[in-house]
Amino acid sequence: MSAPAPALAGYASEPRPSPRLRLIPAIETYPRVVAFAQTPAGKVAIVGAFGLGYGCFLPQPADWLLVALSIALITSFPKSRWKLVAFGTLAVTVVQPAAPYLLAAAMLGLLLFWCARQWPQSAFGRRPVASLLIGFSLLMLSCCLIPRQSASFLPAWIAVGMLSKYIWFIGYALMDRTKSPRDGLALQAGSLQPFWGSTTTPFPKGAAYLRRIEARDAEQLAITQLKGIKLLAWALALMLFQRAWMFGFHTYLHIPYAAQALAMSVRRTPYPWYVCWVSQVLSFFEFLLQLSIFGHQFIAGCRVAGFKALRNTCRPLSSTTIIDFFNRFYFYFKELLVEFFFYPTFFRYFKRHRRLRVVAATFAAVTFGNMFFHFTRDYWMVPQYGLLNALGNFQVYAFYCVVLGTALSISQLRRRAPRTGFVRGRLLPATWVVLFYCLLDVFGSTARNYPLAEHFRFLGHLFGINV
Amino acid sequence: MDHKSMIRQFLQRLLAQKGDQRPFGDSDSLLLSGRLQSVDAVELVVFLEEQWGIDFAEIGFDETQIDTVDAVDVLVQNAGVRK
Repeated sequence: MSAPAPALAGYASEPRPSPRLRLIPAIETYPRVVAFAQTPAGKVAIVGAFGLGYGCFLPQPADWLLVALSIALITSFPKSRWKLVAFGTLAVTVVQPAAPYLLAAAMLGLLLFWCARQWPQSAFGRRPVASLLIGFSLLMLSCCLIPRQSASFLPAWIAVGMLSKYIWFIGYALMDRTKSPRDGLALQAGSLQPFWGSTTTPFPKGAAYLRRIEARDAEQLAITQLKGIKLLAWALALMLFQRAWMFGFHTYLHIPYAAQALAMSVRRTPYPWYVCWVSQVLSFFEFLLQLSIFGHQFIAGCRVAGFKALRNTCRPLSSTTIIDFFNRFYFYFKELLVEFFFYPTFFRYFKRHRRLRVVAATFAAVTFGNMFFHFTRDYWMVPQYGLLNALGNFQVYAFYCVVLGTALSISQLRRRAPRTGFVRGRLLPATWVVLFYCLLDVFGSTARNYPLAEHFRFLGHLFGINV
Repeated sequence: MDHKSMIRQFLQRLLAQKGDQRPFGDSDSLLLSGRLQSVDAVELVVFLEEQWGIDFAEIGFDETQIDTVDAVDVLVQNAGVRK
């Protein structure tokens, strides 16, 4: 017999509401608050709270006004949510300085989506995502052939840059071409760099995914919006904490940033090893903090728009395995790697060799996919340094991806029974996991301006090995 | 044991490995809700391939196909029809 379904299935990876003391109360579990959020006064309160909070993240008043207006309209007319999401996205895009390029990139995406649907048996229609990624790589390569003095040099690279902002959104749209419910072109447009904000990584995935997680009735919408407001409050609290952290450690205590510590090591005048350790550990936590803040901000906007999206970062420090941490610290990037690279490899190759299959798919995603994503995201290095130099500068991040792919493969294959007890079961494994990622970050968070040997030199210095 | 019971038992084991002992209904979302992750989806896919010979490379993969016990059951039944 099946167990009764919860009122609102979702966010299960997050802690369940419990009577313990919380910094931000679980308001979405209070029936009176949920009922109030469904009234006109409650909707005004939600839109007002969101507008005030979101304004802290958006420096441009026009952006803030359009996002707040879109949320107000969606809250008032939830049945027209998709049209309003498309409207909000279009409006926010139009006010950007590079609007013509951005609109052209979005239009190209919609054209490709239409072509893939129209001609499913064509070479492009059968493998649209692979065609897209190969096509984009060829476009970058062909732009390398344009002489720097040419009048078309700058516009060509701006076009590459704008397309790189949309490439994964277009990829998700192409993946969605056969999924139900099938959206029209106009509705797909709303999910290409949606108005609530995103990086190059789509937050959260494409239109088909949004369709599946949208609030179905007034109560679900109220609960989802309250969760969104809560997450926004978290993002604001973390932003304040981040400011205090940066002031305390770097301004007041004068602890160098990890990049400064690395630069001093390159100049052969390194800080003492213990200062480098502190810099490295701080840098790792600063990265986590930054990721949490912008992830919470985007997902808060998405939730207030009525979509029950999972958090991007969810208690990463509680992870007891390397794979669990990878899953928790940047969820939507991990999902991108899984959907674009892991699944296609896993379903197609080495079917008779279970372990090899997992390893091949993991390397396809975490090593190749990760490198491809970051190389195309940082496309500007190609016109700035030239293709060969840009590839050369990428050696450190490539090494990072290989180590991460190896570690995640082992972590997936190992799957040991969980140990009992707080110290052996949680504290020690979590500490090892954090230590691994913290040290790996020596190769991950980098401006790619030093060769791999310099990063190894810095790593060695952390352990008192000075070469 | 029928298909559904086998699927349910497997999913229960998968959740238990993650320390999730909460009950779930046949129509409750497990993947889209975040209770199971893509890594777990891989385990489930291998289970379906080995038990019922379902080939996702052939039929195409979509997480909604394995999001609930009911959805997986439909997938298994369709696989039986195809054979």
